[in-house]
Parts: sequence; C-alpha cells; structure tokens
Amino acid sequence: MRNFSSDFRKLVKSITLLMAFIAGTASFSFAQAAQADSTQAGSSTSAAIGDPKAGDALFQANCASCHKLNQRLVGPPLMGVTEKRSNEWLHKWISNSPAFIATGEKDAVAIYNEYNQAGMPPFPQFSDADIDNILAYIKTEGDKLAAAAKQPAAGGSATTDGGVGATEDGGISDFMLVGLVAVVIIAFLVILVLNRVIGTLERLLIKKDIILPDEEGSEPRDKFATVKKLARNKKFVFFLVSMITITMGSFGWMDLWNTGVQQGYQPVQPIKFSHELHAGTNQIQCQYCHSGAWKSKNATIPSLNICMNCHKYVQATEKYGGKISPEIQKIYSALDYDSQTQKYGDQPKPIEWVRIHNLPDLAYFNHSQHVKVAGIECQKCHGPIETMKEVYQYSPLTMKWCINCHKETQVNYKGNAYYDNLVAYHDKIKKGEKVTAAVLGGIECGKCHY
Amino acid sequence: MDSKKKYWKGLEEVQKTPEFIEKNKNEFAEPLPIEELLEGTGINAPTPRRDFLKAMGFGIGAVSLAACNVAPVVKSVPYLIKPEEVTPGIPNYYTSSYKGGSILVKTREGRPIKVEGNPNCLVNQGGLNAQAQASVLDLYDISKLKGPLYKGVEYSWEDLDQQAKDDLAKVQASGKTIAIISSTVNSPSTKSVIADFASKYPATKHVMVDPISYSGIIKANEASFGKAVLPQYHFEKANVIVSFAADFLGSWISPVQFTKQYVSTRNMASLKEKKMSRHIHFEAGMSLTGSKADSRIATKLSEEGPALVALYNELTGSSIGNNPTIESKAVASAIKLVAKELLNAKGAALVVSGSNDIATQTIVNAINSYLGSYGTTIDLDNPSHQFAGSDADFDALLADMKSGKVGAVLFLNSNPAYNHPKAKEFVDALKKVTFTASFADRVDETATLCQIVAPNSNYLESWGDENAIDGYYTIVQPTINPIYNTRQAEVSLLTWSDQPIKDYYAYVRANWEKTVLTVAGKKWDDVLQAGFIALPTKAASSYNFAGNVNDAASSVLSLSKSLNKDIQLHIYQSVAVGSGDQGNNPYLQETPDPVSKVTWDNYVAINPKYANTLGISQFDVVTVKNNNYAIDLPVLYQPGQAHGTISVALGYGRTNAGKVGDMVGQNAYPFLTFANGAYQYVNTITLAKTGGYEELAQTQTHHSLEGRNIVRETTFAEYKKDPAHGSGHHGKKHENVDLWGKYDQPGQNWVMAIDLNACTGCGACIVACSTENNVPVVGKDEVRRRREMHWIRIDRYYTFNEEGKEITEEEELKHIDGKFENVSVIHQPMMCQHCDHAPCETVCPVLATVHSNEGLNHMAYNRCVGTRYCANNCPYKVRRFNWFNYWNDSRFDNYLNNEFTQLVLNPDVTTRFRGVMEKCSMCIQRIQAGKLQAKLEKRVMKDGDVKVACQQTCPANAIIFGDANDPNSEVSKALTNERTFYVLEELNVLPGVGYMTKVTNTGLQEA
Repeated sequence: MRNFSSDFRKLVKSITLLMAFIAGTASFSFAQAAQADSTQAGSSTSAAIGDPKAGDALFQANCASCHKLNQRLVGPPLMGVTEKRSNEWLHKWISNSPAFIATGEKDAVAIYNEYNQAGMPPFPQFSDADIDNILAYIKTEGDKLAAAAKQPAAGGSATTDGGVGATEDGGISDFMLVGLVAVVIIAFLVILVLNRVIGTLERLLIKKDIILPDEEGSEPRDKFATVKKLARNKKFVFFLVSMITITMGSFGWMDLWNTGVQQGYQPVQPIKFSHELHAGTNQIQCQYCHSGAWKSKNATIPSLNICMNCHKYVQATEKYGGKISPEIQKIYSALDYDSQTQKYGDQPKPIEWVRIHNLPDLAYFNHSQHVKVAGIECQKCHGPIETMKEVYQYSPLTMKWCINCHKETQVNYKGNAYYDNLVAYHDKIKKGEKVTAAVLGGIECGKCHY
Repeated sequence: MDSKKKYWKGLEEVQKTPEFIEKNKNEFAEPLPIEELLEGTGINAPTPRRDFLKAMGFGIGAVSLAACNVAPVVKSVPYLIKPEEVTPGIPNYYTSSYKGGSILVKTREGRPIKVEGNPNCLVNQGGLNAQAQASVLDLYDISKLKGPLYKGVEYSWEDLDQQAKDDLAKVQASGKTIAIISSTVNSPSTKSVIADFASKYPATKHVMVDPISYSGIIKANEASFGKAVLPQYHFEKANVIVSFAADFLGSWISPVQFTKQYVSTRNMASLKEKKMSRHIHFEAGMSLTGSKADSRIATKLSEEGPALVALYNELTGSSIGNNPTIESKAVASAIKLVAKELLNAKGAALVVSGSNDIATQTIVNAINSYLGSYGTTIDLDNPSHQFAGSDADFDALLADMKSGKVGAVLFLNSNPAYNHPKAKEFVDALKKVTFTASFADRVDETATLCQIVAPNSNYLESWGDENAIDGYYTIVQPTINPIYNTRQAEVSLLTWSDQPIKDYYAYVRANWEKTVLTVAGKKWDDVLQAGFIALPTKAASSYNFAGNVNDAASSVLSLSKSLNKDIQLHIYQSVAVGSGDQGNNPYLQETPDPVSKVTWDNYVAINPKYANTLGISQFDVVTVKNNNYAIDLPVLYQPGQAHGTISVALGYGRTNAGKVGDMVGQNAYPFLTFANGAYQYVNTITLAKTGGYEELAQTQTHHSLEGRNIVRETTFAEYKKDPAHGSGHHGKKHENVDLWGKYDQPGQNWVMAIDLNACTGCGACIVACSTENNVPVVGKDEVRRRREMHWIRIDRYYTFNEEGKEITEEEELKHIDGKFENVSVIHQPMMCQHCDHAPCETVCPVLATVHSNEGLNHMAYNRCVGTRYCANNCPYKVRRFNWFNYWNDSRFDNYLNNEFTQLVLNPDVTTRFRGVMEKCSMCIQRIQAGKLQAKLEKRVMKDGDVKVACQQTCPANAIIFGDANDPNSEVSKALTNERTFYVLEELNVLPGVGYMTKVTNTGLQEA
C-alpha cells in the first residue's frame, strides 16, 4: 500500500523537475532573442571622411595594444574622441605627440600629465589619410557602442557603462523566479490533494477487512534449509571464510601500501586558474610562470606581479559582458589594484593556494636538477598539465616511483662537462649499457634524505 | 706506534675510579627510563600481558584510522610582488659586520639563518668564533623585548619619544650632566650620532666602559710612548712568543685574528719550510692558549709580576725592583731560559700580558721596546679600535652620580648593573639620577632600573658601520626587517635630539659619502658588495720606551705582594660565553669549555693535588668568599692549575638575561677590584665547603676510547729529522686483508684532513655545525646524562710532562706524585670518520646507514628504528641518539619551542625525530648543492666548490675538506703529507678523515 504513495511521490518529483526545466529553457531562449534584437540595432551610422575598414586594420596593428574604445587601458578610451577634439588636434597628436606636448598646448599637456607622463610614441609612418581612416574607424565603432549602450537604457534599467548583458539578465531572472515559484506551489497543492486521496483509500481497505495475500509465507523454510545445509558443510564454510579473508586481506594490504598516497588529489583553489587555457590553448611556456624550476629546488608558484604582466591588459571582458572576469578581479583585489586608475593600493592580501604536491619534509627534491640538468619535461611527473582545467596530482609521488624512474632514465650527460669524469669511467666498464641515474648513485639514501 | 706517552681525558680515567669503569662499560650512560615512566602513571608492576594487548589493539586501531585520513590541506602562499633577487629555495648572501670583522649573512626567503666569515676580511680572514656563529640565534631570541617600555608599561614609540624629549629638556635646563654609558663604540656613524646628540644637549658626556677592560694597555702605551692606543699585534711575525696569561687564541682582544696569525707560523705550509714559532706561556689557570703552548709554566698570580720584572732584568742586565725573588724554581729557571730565547729572536719576538694593570703593561712595553718589537710584531701606528673603554672615566662618572651631578643616564650596549665590579654602588647611585633610559634589547639587569627601555634592534636588523682597526671600515647591513617592535638606538638618539635626518640608512650613507668614500674614491654600492673599505695602512715605525720602569716595577711588586695571601683568585673570560652579553644564547651555553669541557656552568677550577691539601674534592660545592662578596660554586679538578690558585669564569650568574641564561652559574664580576687606575682581574679569597655536591655537566669523559692511543705527536726537532716521526708510519705499509670489497667511487671521494698542530680547540666548529645542521641544544641535565647532540666534538687529551720520566704503562699513572701542574694538552676534533668499511653499516638491521659511491656514510633518519647497534659498533663514538624531540618538547624548552626561534632552522636539513640516530653528514646538503651548481653551469667541479661548515668557520684553518679523487685538491695534498695518520688505523675500517701529528717546538730545552 505504501508502494502506491511512494511511487506517486517519485512521479510528482520528476514532473516538477521537468516543469522547472521547461520553464528555464523557455525563459533563456526569450533572453537570447532579446539580446539578438539589441545587437542588430544601431548599425546604420553616418559615414566619416576616412575609410573605417582600412582604419580597422591600422587600429588593430598599431593602437590596440594600448587603447580600447570603451575602456581605459594604458591610454585613454577613444570612444567619442572625434567629437571631443578637433580633427587638426588629433592629427598633430597622433603623428607626433611628444613634439605636440612640447609646444605647450594646454589639452595635450593635461592629458600627458593625467596618464602619469607615459607618452604615446610618435607615428611618423602614418599619412594624413591613414589617420583619417583610423579616426573614421574610431567614430563608427564608437557610435555602435554608444547606440548599444543607449538601447537597453531606454528599457528602464539604470546601468550605463557596457552593462548590456547585465540588464537583460536581471529582467529574465525575475520572470523565471516567479514561474518557478508558481510551479512549485501548484505541484505542492497537487501532492497534498493526492496524499489525502491515498489516505482515504487505505482507510476504506482496512474497513472492508481486505487482507492482501502474503506471498512470502511458505518460502522461508526451504530457503533456510539450504543455508543450514551449507553451513553444516565444513569444507564450504572453510572455503568461504578463507575467500573472504583473502579478499579482505588483499584489499587491505593494497590499501595500506597506499597510505598517505594522494594520487589524484584535486583541491579547490582560491582562483579558478586553468592550465588548459594558459598552457594548452595559449601555449605559454611552463617556466614563464614557474621560473624557479630552472634554478631552484622550488618550481615556485608565480607571484602576482607575473600574473599582472599579462592581466593588466587581458581582462576577458568580452566573456563577461564588458566586466572584468571575476577570477581576474581576484588578482586585482589581492593586489589592491584599481583597474580604472591603474594604481596599487596599500592593502594587498596574499593568495593562499592549496598545495597539491606534498612531498614529506624528509625527502629533498630539486626541480632545477630535473628540469635544467636532466632536461625532463614537466609532464613526465605532472601529467598532461596542458589539458587540466584544475590541477590534480598525477603521479603517486612515492619513493618507489622515484626510484623506478632513476633506474630507467638515462643520465643527460651530453654536452655537460660535469659528467666528463664520470662518463669516461663508465664507458670503460659498461660498453653499450645505458648509464642511468641509479648507476651514478641516484638511488642512495643520502642523495635525497638528509 | 712511536709514542709511548700515556694520554688521558680526565682524572677519573687516570685514577680508574670504580664509577668511571662502571659507566664506561655501557655505551649509553643510563638504561631506558621505562620504569620511571610507568611509575608516573601509577602502574607499579611490570607491564602486564593484557595491557600489552590493549596497547596493541589501540595501536592497530589508531594506525588504521590514521590511514583513512585525507590529504592535509597545506597552504602555499607566494609573494605578492616577488623581490627580484629572491628565489624561494636559493639562499642570498649579504655582507655585514660583527664586532668589527666583515661577515656574510646567509638568508633564505628573507630570514637570516647562518653567519659566515667574509674570506676577504682583513681582520678575521674568513674565520669566525663561536660567538659570531651563535649570534644569528640572538636575532630570534624570544626573551627580547617586543616593544618599548616606560616604567615597565608598554608604550608607543611616539609617546616614548615625547616623554624622553621632555625629560631630557628638563635635565638640560637643570644644568646637570647627561651621561651616555656605552661599551666601546668604534662605529664612525654612531660616534657622529652621539656628537649630534651632544650638540643639542651640550651637557652630554659619553663614557665608554667594557666589561672586559683593556684600559691598562691603553694607559700604559700613553705613559710609555705617548700614544693612548690599543696596538695591533702581529703574531705571524714573531719567532718567539711569550705570554703572561694572555689568552690570545681564546678570548684576548681579537682571538680569531690572532689565531690566523699564530697558526700561519705553525701550519702545514710553515712546517714544510721547516719553520715554526716557539710559544712560551706563563699562567695560573689552564687557558686555551696555555693548552696550545710549546712550554707552559704554571705560575701563581703573585709570581707573574716578579717573573715579568725578573725577565726585564735578565734581558737588560739591570736590576729594577731590587731583583725580586721568585718562589717557584720552575718559574725562575724558565725566565732565564726565556730571556735567552728572546734575545736570540730580537726583532722577531713578542711578549704579551693578559693583565689589565697599567704598571704590568708598562714593563711589558719596556721589554718589547728592548726587543725591538715595535715596528715588527707590534704596530702602534695602525692601532686597534676594538676596545677603548676607560675604567677611570667610569669611576669618575660614578663619583659624579653619587654627588648628584648627573641628571640623566642613557645605556647603550652596556649593562653595568651586571658586569661592573662596582655594580652595587652603581645601582645605589643610579637612584639619584632623574632620567634613566636603556637601549638594551631585553630588560636586562640595568634596564630593570631604567624608566625608559627603548629596545635596540639586533645587528642583523640594523644599518651601521664599524672601525675595528685604523683604516679598516666595515658596513653593517640589515638582512631582515625588525622582528619585534624595536628601533635602532641611533634612531632613538637622533629622534630625541630632533635631528633633521632620522632615517639611519640615509644618515650612515651620508656619513660614508662625506668621509670614507671620498678618501677611498669608492662608491656606496662598492661597500655594500665588498662589505668593507680598507684605506692604505701607515708604515709601522719603531718606538723607544719613554716610561718609568722603576716606578712600574715597584707598583707591580707591591700588587703581587698583596696577592700573596689566602687563595689567589684568577678571574677570566670563558671562551664560549665570554663577558656574558650573549648569556641567553643556548648554543654558547652548550659549547664545552675548550679545556675543562664543562657546559652550562662556571666553577672553581683547582689543581687536584692542591684540593687534596684543602680537603676539597671534585664537584663539592664551595663558598668563594672575600670581605665584600661570596658565591657558591662547584669544584672542578683542573690539571695544570697552579697550586695556591683557583680560576672562576666571568659571564655567568645573570639574573635578567632571559629564560636560557638566567641563573646559570654565579656572577664573578664583583670579585674584580679597582686598583692603580684600572680593574684588576685578580683577587684573594678563601674557600669553605658548604657540604653540597653538584655534578657539572661535562662532556669530558664521555665516549671513552678505552686507553687506545689515538692522538700522535712529535717534537719540532724530531720532525726536522724525519717528517713522519710520531705519525706511526715506518716507511712500509702493512698488508691488509679486507672482508669487504672496495666501493666504486666514480665521481668524487669526499674526505677530510685535520691538522692537529693548527687546531686550538676553540669550539667555533661546534657552533657552526649546530647552526648549519639544526643540531639541537639538550640542556644541562641531558649533558650530564651524556646525551649531548653535537656532531663534532673536540677531544682534549692531557699528558704529563714530568722531566726525566716517561710514562709508558697505564699502571704507572696511578703513582704519579707530581704536582699535576706540568701537563700538556692535545685537542683533536672528532666527528664521523666516514669509514669506507664502516662497522656501523654492517650492524644496522634496517639498512638505515649505508655507504655512498662518494665515500660518505649516509644516514637515513626515517629508516632508522633506533636499535643503537651502530653506536655500539662505532670505534670513534661519534653517533648521537635522539632521546627526545628536543626541538619540540616542552621539557627541553631551551630555545626552539616557539615560532620565532624555529625561523633559524636550515630548511635544507631535516630536524630529527625522537628515537633516531644521527651523526656528521659532512654537510651533505652543501655537497649536493655544490654538485648541482656545477651541473647547472655545465662544468667540472673545482676544488673549494664545497666547503663544510666546520672548515669554513675554523679560525685556524685546521680542517681541509675536498675530493680525494682529484690529485690536485688541497685535501689530497694534505693527506699525502708525512705527518698524516688515521685514528685507529689498525682496525682497518679505512676512515675518510686523516689527521696530522701535533708538533711541539720544545726550543732551547732540548739543547
């Protein structure tokens, strides 16, 4: 009887989920449609003097490293600059800004000082036509962005600066929330009603004294008889017990050997840093960040100034609707860095990463010996790091694992004068055999434990 | 073996006391304290079976539970913005300066962990003594102040500064003196700061006073030559050195510098040229220098004066002081002999005296002047500025204080309430001073009496400079930000006197650029890199003595006469603890005295035969007493001590040093007397038994070598005939049969050579080893139980020098009826010998100690299960067992049980756990680092790439380390020396450490 009610509950549950899913997808597609609308708007703009297409190429090649249209980078945002300054002024500035500043023009000096006197290099290679093209590009693109910013603003939301996605999201999520709540309430009511129905039916059954036939009644005698019979069979019992002992024992034994082995350890890190993106997609060399691996025993987790080499400019705004990526923002807040003014505050907080590869203190390991002297790839121990979204411990880091490698790996003595004496000695006695780290004493206790 | 001499380590061994024999039967002095532990928990019966099973069950359960644990979360916090020069895992070295000698400070990730000598230093030439080595621990001392105090209450620096300025202004207005009491200040910048302070407060008076005073020498030089300076001595230029109780290798003026000089005429290179200086030593107590002397004559304190006067008369043929008589025939005849030798060595002779008496030093000056030492072995033109304290100035100030003329006193590196002989008077007089301030880094004996304590930063946290020798300027560079809320004393002085520059870095730099840098034509960065600037030295000219010998002689003789009553007390500086400034340093407290091998205490050193006559025996607690002062100290039998005298070390008995140094030993400073214008380190006292008994924590008789001759020596005369004399080599080598095959040593074969003739036994290597290898300090009780952990020890062997007697048989030692005065000493550093056929390796049941293909004996701590078989089987007794987690056990709260002091640990060396063996690893972390450096630079290893800690610090260069497979290495050359022998060679364990025989230059005596 209970089966009825539980089965029913399961059904209700799945229906609820399904409904929620449908509501969700529906609202999402609605949101996409709305976005598509907004992007289409504002494509028609007044033509400038130059050719915006030619200007695009020039802008990307020469200006984009320091300027963005809607955001401050090294230099100021360029949106609307054609309205703010005269054409003549802009030509003078772009072709040779230091000379222009030297003339003492007020606006030029002001902007030079505002940006910490980091001057813009002169571009003597630009013809006037080139500059016009660039300005045309800035104008067209700038107008596009301005229009895009205006459109949703009409919808009633107060956000201004590039907050296109954000406003849309807000509207939809409200709608979704109301729908969900309604669905839940309805589902709850249905469940309540049905529960009552079940209760009434059960009561009816009891009143009428209908006893369901007990199917299991006659079976147990036979069943227990076979079990008892088997239990009396000493050979079988012995066999069973020894099998259990062996299985448990071997599992236990294997487990004991793996005590403290943390292979596969993948803790959650304070920043969702992806090696797949950095080392895989972007092909950044491991030692660019882990520079210690070349010269020290520690590979070193890079300090934040190394992150800032790129992330001062790379802010992944395109993926977060114009906002700085929240993960990159974590770097900024750790350094107390303001991306708008590009200034560092005085309240930095270090980032506490969770250490993944924990060698015991009694074992000495030196990265430079392996990376620089032996020329071993990082992947040999750290696994396919360039495909890891989150890093995990790839190797067991047991002593057996170290020793196996030392026994198998040939010493990288070619071109290293240090090994001259050793190789001469070994060539005499081990003709044709490979000289492994173990042969040179690489598996002696004191080489790693002291 | 050539030598038939009988060597012994302690009197117990000579006399074969039953306790000694009993103790030496066992490898470890005491059985395991299992019973003791169980009694503590209330179970008196032996462990029952059920308890055992319970423990087993719990153990298995606990282990299985422990096995379930997930990975511990270990945080890894990188730099926010990494300083360019710091790479985690790689040490940085910075030049700095310790007591005038240039040093290199090793830092790891921004924290100093080791101090090493700067090899280019003109004073110490790369050597460092125990105190400098231990100084890095003072940086992290938790007994130091965490911030400024005003009347015992924590204050902010701003409030403190305001208070100090107000008070100083009041004193200035009242017209009273503002006194700055300091130990010697030779820093040009500090001097300039004090001058600036004085320009703001014109009533300022700067008084320098040192606990160990050399004002006698300075005053005597003023009287003799018109130059009030501490001269520079050149022991390397002297063929004959005569010392009257000047412990110049251990504690006198500049011991590291003098050791370098002294050894240069007695080391391998010098012996090869058949040249060796001769050193004759007159003294009462057995000092380190006395133990190295070629001839040591035990001289009573009351006879030192007459002996000196007699020497003058003998040399010059005059008869000042009416030809005083010398009671001791030995001293009298020695003086005659010494005079002859000195005359033969005219122009290359040097006489020094450890006395602080002006008259005594005047006679020494007269003798040196007669011998033509000035301009050759003594340099008055480039004087030393290491000590400039004036006893008389302080005495005058004390009188002013008493009469209420002093309104303010500031203490800079000075602690007169503890280390001044008139401490009591001084403390009373201080009550009359209205404003008192101390710059001590802790609330020491003087700071407790002061209103303001403005804690000074450690020298490793400070900017500064020093000028130890004329024309030699060293820079003090900070290597870490102040650990506690401390501030440099100079900054305090600048702030209190409202100077325009308060940043001391800017001040020092400006001062250098104004003075030294302009003269030398160098830049600031050059100094930071080199660590020092040496201006050209002036030519040392000769001086003619212009003092009054007759007056000096009568003064000396009357002082000597006054000593000739009761028992004569010789007050000296111990080599490790020194004046007591670093009293809270556990490394120094546990460094054994070079001769007596006592740790953690001072004691009454007395000749055993003389003690017998007084009815005193070893370890009796006696009261040392004169009219003014009395202390209770245990007695130590010291062979070689002059009869009628006792010796007591200074630097102990501190009450406000910190938790390590408080109440260790007794303070002997109050026994000093002020006489004839200077403090005298001698007195007369009486002894009385208290009935108490206190066993001193000695390492002396530990690890006995069962009467086997392991040190070998010869005389210079024999050496000249046959360089191999005494080394046990007779030209032909034995045929040896080995049970084991030879190890392949394809790369390097690390070995060591130790020159017993160079080693002075100073103990710097012990501290250097401890700091490098995280060797724990175990404390007094554990040393008594023979559980000291030092990886390197210096064995000290006595032999008798009874004329005409050669002691050949063990039995004969018992019947020695001599005075126990005429003994000589050999020091032998002993550490793991890294035997090629090591007996320890074959008995280890778990293969925790195995051989490497580089000739080293490895020790894997985590494999060790603590059977201690290896220690039992080691013929050299160099293995140490960790009875406890000394670095993390509240019962051994010596220093490491806090987060500050643990910062001193070397991160490249494991801290060993309870229950494992450890021993010298030949600094394997340095070997590995040196090899890696060569690999990274793709080059063959050079000799000198790897220096072990003991070798690096050794002031005598007695230890040479290197690769025996390289025939051109220093060590290979040293080991092919004829003097080389191996300890217990006959066992054929093929040790990797070779020793070179000690050579004694018996000089004229043999003729």
